[in-house]
Amino acid sequence: MDYASADPTFVAKTSALAVTHPFSRIMKGDGNCGWRGDDSCLSEILYHANSPDVAVAFGYFENLFNLRDTLRVHRELLRIKSMNVLLNQVGQQEHLYEIFVDATEEIFNQISEAIQNGVRDDSFLVDAFNNEYNSSAIITHFRILTSAWMKLNPHRYQAFLSLPVDQYCATRIETVKTEIDEVGLQALVDGVVEPAGFAVEILYLDRSEGDAVTPHMLTPARPSVVTIRLLYRPGHYDLLYQAETTVNMEPVVNYQYAMTSNYTPWDQGALSFDVNSSLMSIPNLMMDPTFGLAPSPIPAAPASPFQVSSPPDVYQPPIHTSPPVPMASPPPPRMSAPPPMSSLPSRSSDGPQIRLNPLVMKPNLSHSLPVTTPFKNSPYNQAHFQNQDFEPIHWEPTPRLSDRRFIKGRPSSPLSTKDLLTVSSTFGTIESSHPHSLPYLFSSSIDLSVSLLLSVCLARCMVLRFRSLQQTLSGWRLFIKFCLSNERKHSCPHV
Amino acid sequence: MGSKRIAKELAELTESPPEGITVELANESDIYQWKVYMDGPEGSPYHNGRFLVKLSLPTEYPFKPPSVSFGTKIYHPNVTNDDKGSMCLGMLRADEWKPSSKIAAVLEFARQLLVEPMPDDAVEGRIAEQYKNDRARYDEIAREWTRKYAMA
Repeated sequence: MDYASADPTFVAKTSALAVTHPFSRIMKGDGNCGWRGDDSCLSEILYHANSPDVAVAFGYFENLFNLRDTLRVHRELLRIKSMNVLLNQVGQQEHLYEIFVDATEEIFNQISEAIQNGVRDDSFLVDAFNNEYNSSAIITHFRILTSAWMKLNPHRYQAFLSLPVDQYCATRIETVKTEIDEVGLQALVDGVVEPAGFAVEILYLDRSEGDAVTPHMLTPARPSVVTIRLLYRPGHYDLLYQAETTVNMEPVVNYQYAMTSNYTPWDQGALSFDVNSSLMSIPNLMMDPTFGLAPSPIPAAPASPFQVSSPPDVYQPPIHTSPPVPMASPPPPRMSAPPPMSSLPSRSSDGPQIRLNPLVMKPNLSHSLPVTTPFKNSPYNQAHFQNQDFEPIHWEPTPRLSDRRFIKGRPSSPLSTKDLLTVSSTFGTIESSHPHSLPYLFSSSIDLSVSLLLSVCLARCMVLRFRSLQQTLSGWRLFIKFCLSNERKHSCPHV
Repeated sequence: MGSKRIAKELAELTESPPEGITVELANESDIYQWKVYMDGPEGSPYHNGRFLVKLSLPTEYPFKPPSVSFGTKIYHPNVTNDDKGSMCLGMLRADEWKPSSKIAAVLEFARQLLVEPMPDDAVEGRIAEQYKNDRARYDEIAREWTRKYAMA
């Protein structure tokens, strides 16, 4: 099954995703080690653990590497190792867990070394995670840290569990071959990843209503150094990289850690662009008090990062260094109420920046919208027709996306429309064997790209109009729980 | 890495073995195959018997579980009544195995199973039925087998 040709809901959401996350490389997960246009073998990563914790762990190390700050790497190593104290507190024995910690330390050391040697290629990380023993060790380490964290902070999680925390940890977290569920993932983020100052966000590509993926922030709404993004679709999680970069985070390709086989590329026929333009005239959408508070699958939800077009589009890199979080005093529970709108995450940790320009709400503008990019649709942007130094966008051919260093070597600055189109066209190059792919279309005509962007805005509108996401998501949760409980049949593995 | 941990666990088990359990390598050059001698626990029909338990560790240990089988014939609902003597333990299923569990815990669990069989997780349904419905007869046969096979 394919993201885009699966069913109408996926199709619409996928087309929206292609705009917000144009760095995309679809990966085969059929054991052939095949990325189109690349020799890498990332597809194996999730073969033995199709669990979001693997994606989070990989995203953690990769972002750490991309930040290129050896001091930070060292600080993180010390922080993670200091968490041995937690392990001891919950009765884990050092001679049993030390090999897990060793594997994690080895990765930290490799990252430091690579940064010092000016290595830009992160294939060593991919290799480390493709080595089953090695990645099992790292994941086990992260899992037992998560378990210890939960046991030491039961008040934060017990309400969301049907089992006592200890039992939950023993049967769902420490059993490394069991897929981690949402509560466990939240605990992993709370206890292990978030103290690094990294934000974690999941985009739900599910069958909930609306035409855009449903974002959900797992970390508190505060400035973060980088954001690890997971794309969830029923069954597994992918890592996702966004067009709009955050400070220090260079745009990278979209590794889609797919488990399914038989991928086909996104094709034009599967994308729905003919959104009813009358939706444009939905009045008062901007006034919708629930606008910024998308329903979240986990009650721990902080506010959704979506927000309407914010007036100042001057990019200000947030300078943020996260102080190490003291082990003994966990941050206050976030399980209660979502923070107020005013404390929405800063630009740096925002979700997909599909900003709605108020003009979008006016009818009959569908083909002359002053939209430049989904994120920079303001007169401050040089590509905006109202800008004093207005300069139209030019399409430029660029090297293939498969040269990952090209992407990674980009200066860390917010992407302009030009960048977006450039990357899109690059994407088109990769998919060139399929001339009907979305990006091909994208790069061939600015007009079309504008209307595509428009359709994303509309998709956002629709999301806002349909408030049943919560039910749908909890439905999925129940379904997953049901599947898990059905898996636990008794059979002797070695008779 | 795995062998490092196995060596540590073996050392710990040799220095301070759990009650009724002694451990050695089946072959000094192979750290993955263990011979375990388990004394039949008091209060069970296996009392006074000495059972050879073969413990086999996968190269992926501790990420995959060890497997346990009885080298001595034993009449028990959770041990296959054949020449393999495979023991079915929930904690040894791949998806229930915890890499932070230790071999000592597996062995102690196995020995506890001699005291309290788990007929609901049985591999020998007939013995499980008998254990539940005709305990006296079960005890009698188990004692007889212990005398016959485990007291040599």
